[in-house]
Amino acid sequence: MLATRLKLAKAVDGISDDAPLFAPTGLGLDSIDALELVLGLEKEFGVVVEDRAVAIRVLTSIRTIADFIQSQGKG
Amino acid sequence: MAPGKRVVALKNVTGGDPHLQGHFPGNPLMPGVLLVEAMAQTAGLLLSEGSSALLAQIRDARFRRPVVPGDQVRIEAERLGSLGGLHRFAVKASVDDAPVAEAEIVLAETS
Repeated sequence: MLATRLKLAKAVDGISDDAPLFAPTGLGLDSIDALELVLGLEKEFGVVVEDRAVAIRVLTSIRTIADFIQSQGKG
Repeated sequence: MAPGKRVVALKNVTGGDPHLQGHFPGNPLMPGVLLVEAMAQTAGLLLSEGSSALLAQIRDARFRRPVVPGDQVRIEAERLGSLGGLHRFAVKASVDDAPVAEAEIVLAETS
């Protein structure tokens, strides 16, 4: 989902579960990508990211996103 | 209009519009970039009154047929979601029920 929604150039296999999504040393995503991810999570997994504070916590890495989906009972 | 969620705007295209004089000489055609601007401004109507916003992203824009003088463009914007001052919209433009353009647009609220 990450790769298709954000049109990432990088191969999915090359992204580790703990890579920081927004740090320049990680994937270097920006706030527009964050909104895209939030909408994607809602559409594809049925989980709602309420606001910016939750988004900052959840959208840290692939692992934190997966944990969030599971904590919502949608894993 | 559904408050904050969906809005419809109309734009009448006339031969008097100055940008049509040279675009193109003898063959007036509403520039696609102005169509997108009209779509972005329509989406902006869904933000709270008095707020201003900048265009932050245009995604998957398609132009399906030319818009010419005499056309009335109907623009329909729907808010898909928001996060921290960023708002994403699906916007469609049509003339006489035929689609002429569509795009997903992100606006960034500046105040």
